[in-house]
Amino acid sequence: MNVLEIRNLTKKFGDFIAVDNMNLSVREGEIFGFLGANGAGKSTTINMISSLLRITKGEISLLGKNIVKENKFAKLNIGIVPQDLAIYEEMSAYENVSFFAGLYGLRGNLLKERAAEALEFVGLGDKHKDLPKNFSGGMKRRLNIACAIAHRPKLIIMDEPTVGIDPQSRNYILNSVRKLNEMGSSIIYTSHYMEEVEELCTRIAIVDHGKIIAEGTKEQLKSIITDTKEIWIGVKNEERLDIDALQRISGVISVQPEEQTVKIVSRGEVGNLNWIIQQLIKDGVEIGSVEEQAPNLETVFLTLTGRKLRD
Amino acid sequence: MNVLNIALYEIKRSLRDTRTFVFMLAFPLILILILGTALSNAFSSEVTMDGMKLLYKVSAQNEPLQQYWNGFAQAIESQGVELTAANGGIDGRAAVADDQYAAYAEIDDNGVRFFGSSLRTIESNIIQGMLTSFADRYNLAAAAMKNSPEAVQAILADAGSSGSFIQEASIDPHRKPGSIDYYAIAESTMIAFYACMSASWLIRGEVRRRTALRLAAAPVGKMEIFAGKVIGCTVINYLCILAVVLFSKYAFGANWGDHLGIVFLLLFTVVLLAVSFGLGIAYMIKGDSANSVMTIFVQIASMLGGAYFPIQDDMNNFFGSLANLSPLRWANDALMNLIYNNDLQAALPVIGLNVAIAAAFLAFVAVSMRRREAF
Repeated sequence: MNVLEIRNLTKKFGDFIAVDNMNLSVREGEIFGFLGANGAGKSTTINMISSLLRITKGEISLLGKNIVKENKFAKLNIGIVPQDLAIYEEMSAYENVSFFAGLYGLRGNLLKERAAEALEFVGLGDKHKDLPKNFSGGMKRRLNIACAIAHRPKLIIMDEPTVGIDPQSRNYILNSVRKLNEMGSSIIYTSHYMEEVEELCTRIAIVDHGKIIAEGTKEQLKSIITDTKEIWIGVKNEERLDIDALQRISGVISVQPEEQTVKIVSRGEVGNLNWIIQQLIKDGVEIGSVEEQAPNLETVFLTLTGRKLRD
Repeated sequence: MNVLNIALYEIKRSLRDTRTFVFMLAFPLILILILGTALSNAFSSEVTMDGMKLLYKVSAQNEPLQQYWNGFAQAIESQGVELTAANGGIDGRAAVADDQYAAYAEIDDNGVRFFGSSLRTIESNIIQGMLTSFADRYNLAAAAMKNSPEAVQAILADAGSSGSFIQEASIDPHRKPGSIDYYAIAESTMIAFYACMSASWLIRGEVRRRTALRLAAAPVGKMEIFAGKVIGCTVINYLCILAVVLFSKYAFGANWGDHLGIVFLLLFTVVLLAVSFGLGIAYMIKGDSANSVMTIFVQIASMLGGAYFPIQDDMNNFFGSLANLSPLRWANDALMNLIYNNDLQAALPVIGLNVAIAAAFLAFVAVSMRRREAF
């Protein structure tokens, strides 16, 4: 079952089309990576899912219900962890969580239990009376998460939850994301850290210029660009390279000599490494190392969008 | 329930913002103390009593009433009121409107009709207070005449004695505003109006600290958020005003009159007006410039309202006209009338006006908020 269904979603700001006829679905129980460079339309999409922005055209359904028609239901079932810290510095950690949880209809003992539970979950149980202004960046990030989960939403949207924090807090947050997922929440996760997405997400969508340009599992995305591979060969006497001869080898697309290295881009399906090495030996080139790089998400992103994720 | 929840959190957060809280309490109290002490000479009776001009016309056939009026006229003349009898051709109301007199009184068998100058409010208020006392005394005598004629003599005998009216009316030294009394009123209304500063930050603050995003994502209507924040902001600012009023009354001995309920109601409407005004301006002017506009406006309105020095009543120039546009001036005049003339009627139009303007601003903000995406 799909937790979230986006159909033909469009958002215009005047003449500018921020989201262009987007279609997307998030399945129950998955951690869905949502990747896009700044200005790609990622935040606009998230804001429409969270009912912060009005939809120009198209439809978003949460658990089968249209979020515009069943707005209260949708809001009750979504938890949002904004990219920027959205907490009251002059209220204690507990007061922050209980205030926001209270807006979701929790009252009395249930509210107290859930707020305490959420703080415990993010490791701030013993800091519940402290003011966030005395917290480290990582602790504030964790409180930011606690404020979004006390009402136990079915879908949690995490917009760059690990930005600007120390590795220890980052690991804590990544583990929390996994735990939340195991406890039954589906998660939409955006990050500029490709390795986080690669490590956490079961499926990933890449958005560019307001459109989904690729969607699938990590393997599926990588397979998009497995028609090419990169072979990096460390050489000690690159002046002896016969570039023309290397380019004539079956499958080789390009040969780029660099300082004591030669990068050879080749068609992925052709097993030509043996021919390449023989050619180098024939030319008297001393080989220091050979490395064949499989494509990673960063490469996929770069290939598809022409930009790095952090651009 | 959400409205209450949001309002309570707003109050709690404001209470913890010690800097603002101390400012709202300490600033007016210190000003009352400093200005009240430093400018006490400016509030002496000689200064205010000199040159109060009353035009009057007696057409009463009733002899006791004429007698009573004559005694009264002598008494107030000795206190510095210049009385002029209106001749047949003089239009008393026009003369007051032309600022030739502070007030005009018509005495006929039905009682006293009073027309006060809007340009000389303090003078006309004092005279009105005297005339109210006169009318009360006459009504008492008239009632006594019907039931106990021998008592009339005693009542009327007082009519000529200088000071008897004065003690009962507004120029009683205990009921005339001293400098502390004046500044207690002026600073309280000023600080009430300062609520517009915190109100301008109500929604912008949420946007700035990004919590607006959480509020908008929660299953709470925009109007609930709006109402909760307005209520919270109004209550916390009003509590500050109450504290200032009570402190000035009991610690400084400031006179707040006998109608504290109406005084508090009027001050509440000033806070409400300020909160709605602050929110409205914050919605009209985008960005941080709203704060600058608000600061300038509050300072000008405070000055024109008489928060730093009393604005002369006879100012009929541009400055005087401007002063009448200040909401603080309306509030201060109404409070003076209420406290020193027991004039409840003077407070009602100001209360009504404050509420009406507040409602207009709140409606504007509510509509703007609904139209906007997020906040």
